[in-house]
Amino acid sequence: MKHNVCLLEAVNLALASEMRKDEEVVILGEDVGVNGGVFRATANLRDEFGLKRVMDTPLAETMIAGVSIGMASQGLKPIAEIQFMGFIFPALEQIICHAARLRNRTRGRLSCPLVIRAPFGGGIHAPEHHSESTEALLAHIPGLKVVVPSSPARAYGLLLAAIRDPDPVIFLEPKRIYRSQQQEVEDNANALPIGSCFTLREGSDITLVSWGAMITETLSAAESLSNEGVNCEVIDVATISPLDVETILISVRKTGRLVIIHEAPRTGGVGADISAIVAEQALLDLQAPVVRVTGYDTVMPYFRLEKHYLPNSQDIIDAVKQTVEFV
Amino acid sequence: MKTLPPLQYLDQEGQPSQPCPEWCNKPDWLLRCYHYMVLARQFDTKAIALQRTGQLGTYASLLGSEGIDVPVALSMKSTDVLVPYYRNHACQIIRGMPLEEAFLYWGGDERGNSSVQMGEDFPNAVPIATQSLHACGVASAFKIRNQKRAAVTFIGDGGTSKGDFMEALNVAGVWQLPVVFIINNNQWAISIPRQIQSAAAQLADKAVAAGIPGIQVDGNDPIAMHEAIHNALNRAYEGKGATLIEAISYRLGDHTTADDATRYRSNDELKSAWERDPIKRLRNFLALQNFWDESKEQALLQETHQLVQEAANKYIEISPQKIDSIFDYLYAEPNSQLIEQKDWAIVKAMQGGSHFEGESS
Amino acid sequence: MKYFKLPDLGEGLPEAEIIEWHIAEGQCVETDQILVSVETAKAIIEIPSPQTGKVTHLFGQPGDTIHTGEPLLEFEGDEENDSGTVVGEIPQAQEQTATTDEFIIGAPSGSSHIRGESKATPAVRALAKRLNIDLNQIKGSGQNGLITPTDVEKTAKLDRAHGKASPLKGVRKHMALAMIKSHQEIVPVTINEDANIDIWPKNTDITFRLIHAIAQACKKVPEFNAWFDSSSLSRRIHSTITLGVAVDTPQGLFVPVLRDIGNRDQADLRNGLNLLREDVKNRTIPAKELQGATITLSNFGTIAGRYANPIIVPPQVAILGAGVIRQEPKVVNNEIIIQRIMPLSLSFDHRALTGGEAARFLMAILNDLQQETT
Repeated sequence: MKHNVCLLEAVNLALASEMRKDEEVVILGEDVGVNGGVFRATANLRDEFGLKRVMDTPLAETMIAGVSIGMASQGLKPIAEIQFMGFIFPALEQIICHAARLRNRTRGRLSCPLVIRAPFGGGIHAPEHHSESTEALLAHIPGLKVVVPSSPARAYGLLLAAIRDPDPVIFLEPKRIYRSQQQEVEDNANALPIGSCFTLREGSDITLVSWGAMITETLSAAESLSNEGVNCEVIDVATISPLDVETILISVRKTGRLVIIHEAPRTGGVGADISAIVAEQALLDLQAPVVRVTGYDTVMPYFRLEKHYLPNSQDIIDAVKQTVEFV
Repeated sequence: MKTLPPLQYLDQEGQPSQPCPEWCNKPDWLLRCYHYMVLARQFDTKAIALQRTGQLGTYASLLGSEGIDVPVALSMKSTDVLVPYYRNHACQIIRGMPLEEAFLYWGGDERGNSSVQMGEDFPNAVPIATQSLHACGVASAFKIRNQKRAAVTFIGDGGTSKGDFMEALNVAGVWQLPVVFIINNNQWAISIPRQIQSAAAQLADKAVAAGIPGIQVDGNDPIAMHEAIHNALNRAYEGKGATLIEAISYRLGDHTTADDATRYRSNDELKSAWERDPIKRLRNFLALQNFWDESKEQALLQETHQLVQEAANKYIEISPQKIDSIFDYLYAEPNSQLIEQKDWAIVKAMQGGSHFEGESS
Repeated sequence: MKYFKLPDLGEGLPEAEIIEWHIAEGQCVETDQILVSVETAKAIIEIPSPQTGKVTHLFGQPGDTIHTGEPLLEFEGDEENDSGTVVGEIPQAQEQTATTDEFIIGAPSGSSHIRGESKATPAVRALAKRLNIDLNQIKGSGQNGLITPTDVEKTAKLDRAHGKASPLKGVRKHMALAMIKSHQEIVPVTINEDANIDIWPKNTDITFRLIHAIAQACKKVPEFNAWFDSSSLSRRIHSTITLGVAVDTPQGLFVPVLRDIGNRDQADLRNGLNLLREDVKNRTIPAKELQGATITLSNFGTIAGRYANPIIVPPQVAILGAGVIRQEPKVVNNEIIIQRIMPLSLSFDHRALTGGEAARFLMAILNDLQQETT
C-alpha cells in the first residue's frame, strides 16, 4: 500500500511493518512508548504492540545500550532510540566495547543484532548539544555498521535492512529533513541494501558525494549547475560503514572530478576517508584535486549563527566550479 | 538502614554460628561444593604458574572467592545465564567450560569465549560494570518471553561505584527483572580499599535506591551463599524481580598477575584474612559432620591436581588460530574491505612477508 | 497557548493561594491585563495575561491553592498542532504533494570510462601542459600504459626537431586502424594473373565488368563471399554479395558498398554504381552504406600500378585488385601478338580459403572478363 509520507513517518512505517512481521523486534528508549517519541517516530506503536514490545526506559543512555546488548544476545531484535545523537556518548562504551565486539570475541557464539536509532545533525534551531554529527566516530569502529538515510523511501528500506541485519547498526536520522519532503513510499516490507551507495542523478562532468540532510543541498546545487551546462552525478553514500567504495570509484573514473559534502566537522570526517580511497585507487583518473565541502572544525554554534556553519548549496556550486575549472 | 550482620551459618573455624538448614545433614551438595572449590583453587594456582613462566598472559586470580562462585554456579540452572566480570572462572568451569579452554582467554585466544558449552553465558567483561546492564538485557528477554529463567551477574566492590551498575540496579528494580546481582566485596579494587570506595554503610544498601532487596552475606560461608542465592533465584523465577547480594570476602591474591599487593596492604591483614579462608572453613565443617577425612583430602588434592595438569598440557598444545580468524567474525558476512585486508594479512605472514614468523630459509 | 499555567513567582515558591479573580470566564482579555491576585508565602502578587484572547475556563476559586506549573486558566484556541518535537523547529514540507524518489542502487550500468584520456599522474600532466604536448598522442611506456615524464620529454624533443606530429583524424584514422587490424589477424596470399581484354568493345565500363566478374566468380566459389571470425574460428558464407568498392578521394580512402550484386539486373547495377560515384563525389555517403561488405574490389588501375598485394579487411576473406590496362606482347601459338591486358591481383585469407579455391575463383574472374560482353 502506498503512503504519502515524510522521512519521519517513513521510519514509523518501517518500524510498524517489521514489528508485525517479526515478534522478536522490540523497541526501547526514553519517551518512545506513551509519548510516541519526542519526534513521534514511534507514534501508535505502543497501542498496537503493547508495553512488552515498546518499552519506556528510565533516563539512562548507558543502560539503554547495555540492556539492548543483553536482549540481542538472547535473539531479540531490539531497536533502541537515543533521543539525540548528542546524548549517545554515555552509550559509546557499551556500543564500542560490547555491541561491536560480541560476535568477534565469542567467535560467533553470541551476536548482537541490534539497531540504535538517533536523530542527528543541525539546522533545526535547537539548543546546544542537539545538533551533533559525529558519524565519523562510529564509522571508525570495526564491528559496527552506520547508516544514514536521506529520503523517505530510503529511510523505509534502509531501516528494514538495519533491523534485519545480524550485526549492530547505528541508524542516524537527519532531523533537519524529518518533515521537509513528502514522498510516496510503498509499504511492501522491501528492504534496500546496506553497504550500497545510491546514484540519485547521473552526470558525466563531476561526481558529488554526500549523505544525510546535505543531499538536499547537493541535489539543488546539481540542478542549478545543470542549467549552466555542468552535469553532476550525485551519489548518496547512505551506508557510511561499510562504505561502498566501488560505486564511488566507478563514478570518479567516469567524471574525473569529485566533491564531497558533509555537515560534520572537516578534520577526521568521513570525507577524508573517501578522499584517501579515491587517491589510492583512482588517482590517474582525477583531473583535479578532490574538494571537501564540510562544517568547520568547531562546535556547532548556538542556533543564531547556525546558518554560517552549515554548508549551503552555493558552497557546493562554488566548489564544483573550482574543480571543473581546475586545469 | 539495615544494621544486620552478614548472613552466616559457619564461623571462620567451620563451626555453626546458628542452626544450619536441614539439607546440611546430607553430604551431597556439600561434597560437590567442596570438590569444585578445591578444583578451582588448583586451577588458579596453575594459571599463576603458567603466567610466571610466560605461557599465559595477565591473569586475574580467584583466590579467596571460591566460597562465593562455587555455591552460585551449583545453584544456577543450565537454562539460567551467567554474566560474569573477570574473576568468575570457577563459575565458568562448573557450568561446563572445559578446563583447558578456561586457560584460553587469558592465553590471548578468543576461543576462550566461544565454546559451545558456554551456552548463552556472556564472556568475561573487562570494562567495569558494563556487564550489569547486559544481565538486565538478558533478564528483559526472559521477561518479555515469559520464561522462568534468571540472569546472574557478578561485580566487584569497585565496580559498584560505576554508573552502569547504578543504572542496572535501577532498571532491574523498575522493570522487576529476573536478575541476581552478586557483589564480590573482597575489600580491594586494585589498591583502593573498600573504605574509600563508597560511603555507603553496606554496598547492599545501594539496592534501596533501586527499590529492590539487598542482603549482605558472609562470602566465605558456602552454606550462607547457598541460602542467599536460592532465595534470589526463586524470587526471579517467580516473577518477583531482582535481588542484590553483597558477599563479603577477601581478595587473597593480587588483583592480577601484573599487580603487587604488598605495595599497598599489610601482611598482617592478609594473614588474618587467611584465617577466614572458605576452603578451610568448609573442610572443617565437613569433618565435623563426618563427611570428610585426611585420606579423602589427599585423594581429592591429587585428583584435582592431575585434572588441572592434564588440562594445562592440553592448553599448551593448542596452536593459535589461523590469521583468517582476525577477520572472519566482525560481521555475519565480511565486506570487500575486510576480504582484501585479510588476504594482505595472510600474504604478509608467508615466507618473505613482513609478518613471517618462521625461520627464514 | 491554550493553558496558562502558574509561573514561578520567584525564589522557587511552589504554590500560591487565589485571592481574587479580576476577569471572568468568557471574557476577552489583552496582553498584560491583570487576571488574578494570588498570595504566596511572601506577598500578594498580581498576575498579568501573557497574551490576547478569550478566557474559556478558570481553574480554581478564591481560597484555592494552586501549585507552580498547574493550569490557572484556559484560553480559546485550536488544539495545539502536534509539532512532533521537543526542542527546536523541524521545517515542514511546503507542498503536501508527494514526489517519487528515483534512484539507482550502486552505479548506473554502462558507466564506462568514456573520457578516453590517457593515464598520467598529475605531475606528468603538468609537465605536458608546460611543454605543450597532447597526452593523447603519446603511448605510455610505464606500467599499464602509464605515461612517464620521459615519454613526455622525448615527444617534446621530437616536436622541437621535426615539428609537431598531427594526429590522424576521420577517414585516415579509420583506415590506419583497419590496416593494423588486418595485419594482425589475416594470413594473406596474393595470386596475380593478366586478363586478356582485347576483345572488349570501346567504352566498356571497366568497373562494371569487374563487378560482374566478381559476382559470377562468387557464384562459382561461394567460399570467397564469406566472413571469418578469428576468435571462434568460424566462417559465415553469405547468400548475397555485398561488394565494397574502394574509392580514392581527397579526404582519403572510402569503401562504399553495392548490395546484392549477384541478383540485380544490369541496368539496376549500373544505376547503383553511378549513384555511388555521385555520392562519393559529393561526400554524401550515408554511414550505413560503408558497412557490411562481404568482398571488396580495388580498382587502382584508374590511377597507376600493375600488380599489388591489396589488403583484405576483416572479417572479409578476399579482395580483388585491378591495375592499369596496358598493351603487352604475348606469345600465342608460337607467335608474338600484342594484347590488351588488365593485371589482376587476388588476395585471399589462407586461414579460410585454399589455394585451389583461389585458383578457381581467379579462373572464373578471367573467364568472365575475357568475354566480349556480359
